[in-house]
Amino acid sequence: MNKISQWFRKNRTLIITLLVLTIVYLLALRGLEPKDQVLTTLRGFSMGAIIFIVAAGFSLIFGLMDVLNLAHGTLFMIGAYIGWTIIVRPDTAVDAITPIALLIAGFALLPLMDVLIERLNIPEKAARIWPWVGLILVIAILGYLLPKYPVTTWDVGSYESSPINYAFAAGQGTLVAPEPELFQGVSPVVGLGGILLGSFIAGATLAGFAHYRRYSRKEAKVIIDQGLPHTAIWISIITALIGIIFYFFNDPLSDFLLDLNNAWLFLIAILVSFVSIAGIGALMEVLLVRPLYATPIYNLLMTLGVSAIGIEFVRTIWGNPAFTMPRPSLFAGTGEGCPAESLADILANKCSTISILGGRIRTYNDVFVIIVGLFILITVWILLQRTRLGMIIRAGVQDSEMVEALSINVRRVFTLVFALGVGLAAMGGVIAAPSMGLSTNMGQVLLINALIALAIGGLTSYPGAAVGALIVGMLQQFIVKYGQIGIPLPFMEEAFKPTPPLVPASTVLLMVIILLIMPQGLFGRKE
Amino acid sequence: MSEFTAPEVAKENIYWATIKNSRGLLITILLLAILPFIIALVDGQPFSELLSNDPGQSKFYQALMIEIFILAVYAISYDLIFGITGMISFGHAMFFGVGAYVTGIMFKSFGWSLLPTIGLVILAGIVNALIFGIVLPRVKGITWALVTLGIAEVFFIVIQSRELVDFAGAEIGLQGVTPPEYLNPVTERLRFYYLAMIFMILVYIFYKRFVNSPTGRVCIANRENENRAIMLGYNTFWYKLTALIISSVTAGLAGALHAIFHPIIRPDIAGLSFTIAALLMVLIGGVGTLSGALIGAATFRLLSFGLDRYLGGSSQIIIGIVYVGIVLYLPFGIVGTWNQRSVRRKEGREQLLRMFTGSKEKKQDENEE
Repeated sequence: MNKISQWFRKNRTLIITLLVLTIVYLLALRGLEPKDQVLTTLRGFSMGAIIFIVAAGFSLIFGLMDVLNLAHGTLFMIGAYIGWTIIVRPDTAVDAITPIALLIAGFALLPLMDVLIERLNIPEKAARIWPWVGLILVIAILGYLLPKYPVTTWDVGSYESSPINYAFAAGQGTLVAPEPELFQGVSPVVGLGGILLGSFIAGATLAGFAHYRRYSRKEAKVIIDQGLPHTAIWISIITALIGIIFYFFNDPLSDFLLDLNNAWLFLIAILVSFVSIAGIGALMEVLLVRPLYATPIYNLLMTLGVSAIGIEFVRTIWGNPAFTMPRPSLFAGTGEGCPAESLADILANKCSTISILGGRIRTYNDVFVIIVGLFILITVWILLQRTRLGMIIRAGVQDSEMVEALSINVRRVFTLVFALGVGLAAMGGVIAAPSMGLSTNMGQVLLINALIALAIGGLTSYPGAAVGALIVGMLQQFIVKYGQIGIPLPFMEEAFKPTPPLVPASTVLLMVIILLIMPQGLFGRKE
Repeated sequence: MSEFTAPEVAKENIYWATIKNSRGLLITILLLAILPFIIALVDGQPFSELLSNDPGQSKFYQALMIEIFILAVYAISYDLIFGITGMISFGHAMFFGVGAYVTGIMFKSFGWSLLPTIGLVILAGIVNALIFGIVLPRVKGITWALVTLGIAEVFFIVIQSRELVDFAGAEIGLQGVTPPEYLNPVTERLRFYYLAMIFMILVYIFYKRFVNSPTGRVCIANRENENRAIMLGYNTFWYKLTALIISSVTAGLAGALHAIFHPIIRPDIAGLSFTIAALLMVLIGGVGTLSGALIGAATFRLLSFGLDRYLGGSSQIIIGIVYVGIVLYLPFGIVGTWNQRSVRRKEGREQLLRMFTGSKEKKQDENEE
């Protein structure tokens, strides 16, 4: 008994705050019709789920390595665009695999080059000059060959072949992919071989720069005689082979993917976008974030820069205007039997809407997204609580130096968590794209929401991220709803209608109030 | 000269010493003051045309310089709270935006004259800083940054809302602001140029003085180690609030100049990207060195101007890469690195001098600091 009362006293503020929030929620529900109650709550959950997917990765990264990754929203957006490419234009995605795989093949050889150059004993003058020569060579070769590589894309300039039009056609089921292009001016052998050669030289150049840096700092590399790095060689060979195989089986694969059911494509899109963005995240951690761990503020500025680069990158490739992404066919049925009345109807007709209490619920936005959100919530929770990796992560959040002292390679865990968190965001991007649409500022908007959710829930707390995301999503959807019907206030003649600007304003206001009451957020740790 | 001349320097006239110490500043003022004439000379435009504000190369570059002056004031105001006081704010563009929009709306919708508007801008700046300061005693560091981001984002959305279209002009921006005749940036550009220049110089001198004052020193102490400053008996809240108010008012005044100078006040100037621009400018110049903010602003504007001109759309990517590169390889910025290497620079200069004169003896250079 004493323990319970003590617990209550300790968490008094939290309990009162949550109670007040619940009462506000119930009051808000009372003013709505039954169908709107269900609909708005579901929409709130759906919005909350998407915010949560972004916020979870962000809070993991921030908790573990104190990096406020402001590029998170941008990576979310790039993930969505990659997913869009796979769903709407799988032929482009297949085309792009070959050069990317060939480039990776070269960079994967970096450890081998490192060992070789270390053994070569190049004189200092030469060691200083040759990487620059290599760099110029790489820029010349890749700059000449990569633009010639045949990737069948869209044209941002003309409406007929713009992403907007393709997205529209894909949604209608009338998508016709343009004729595949061919190598222009160079034979395929020269093209493929050149790209591969260029990427090898690029790997060697990078190793050369690293070597000279060690050389000039007079720090000898600790050479442990472990022979050649076999894993790197194998990775390089396999990626190069994959690239070449994809080149030769390009057309059948494109046709196969174009005919494939949209739902499968959606699954592939989620996976590919997760893997590619996780790869980019790992690279980013190793190259950019790692040198700056000592100064978190510079890390923050660096991620801002990466975010700006990412947005411009998307703008150049996919164009500035916003476009849509078709829903997976499981949730797009509109024929007879729709809107569905029962569960059997949904399964039989793959309806896009369900009718409940006279209102219509969209199966994708209001049901599927929530299920995915819950699935990710539980999966990551299990990963954190029940696995060895999760244990290390949790310990690292508490005190990463101590974990390092216990002879655990924290740096590798950092890279892994960064990749995982960023990949999660990319996955969220693909899932959110059909309901939100694609635009270059979707990431920023969502990042700000996620930041607010984290500030409410507590910056490094996983349950806090979930609760904060839910609160933000709910509040926004209720304000949107009340913007349509108005809030009857006792001292005003007309009902007060919250205008659209009030949607984000309300969440910020809530954040400020909660931070004033509980500076650490709802579930944050007290310092 | 022997090494024992130090007491003589102390006896020197104090005004002469001040002038000698701020040699760089004076030279900069002089250069900026004659810059329009130099450009006119190079372009072959007679001075009479320049003085009567006829169109020409000089007038064009005057506009560019005015933009740099405004940006420099904005950047230096960010340096005060970020570099000197050590608070990260993501809402700084709101300070600028409030100044610009207050000026624009007061001129356009209410027909106020210049002086009362400036008074209102200052008042709005103080109120603005107080809004940011409300949560200051409770939240610190990243959380405070998030609060500022949120508040600024709300302002950004409010000025773009349809409801205020008559006042703020929604997402297109505030158009049709008629500046007073004697400050019209089109017909009286040279005058505007000198006004903006003097404003920037005054702000710089004021900031320099503020940082060297006891209050400013406590602000620096707050940046270095807040707990220690508290332990020494300073209530850091008031010092942080003072820095915020000064910063907000100067940024607001810069915004007012921006509103008068530009025909359209776009809502972008209140968005996150503009805050990031401030960060970038401070970072290029060197965090915590006030002159760095000015140099950073000039570099930033000239860089984006040049890149826009020669590369068009893809200039943003290069700016992003420059940004990341500076963070990784030049973390102290231009001025910071310059100051850091002053000893080595001195050695190098002496070596150069010896090379020319051929003497082994150390020579005293006139331009030496």
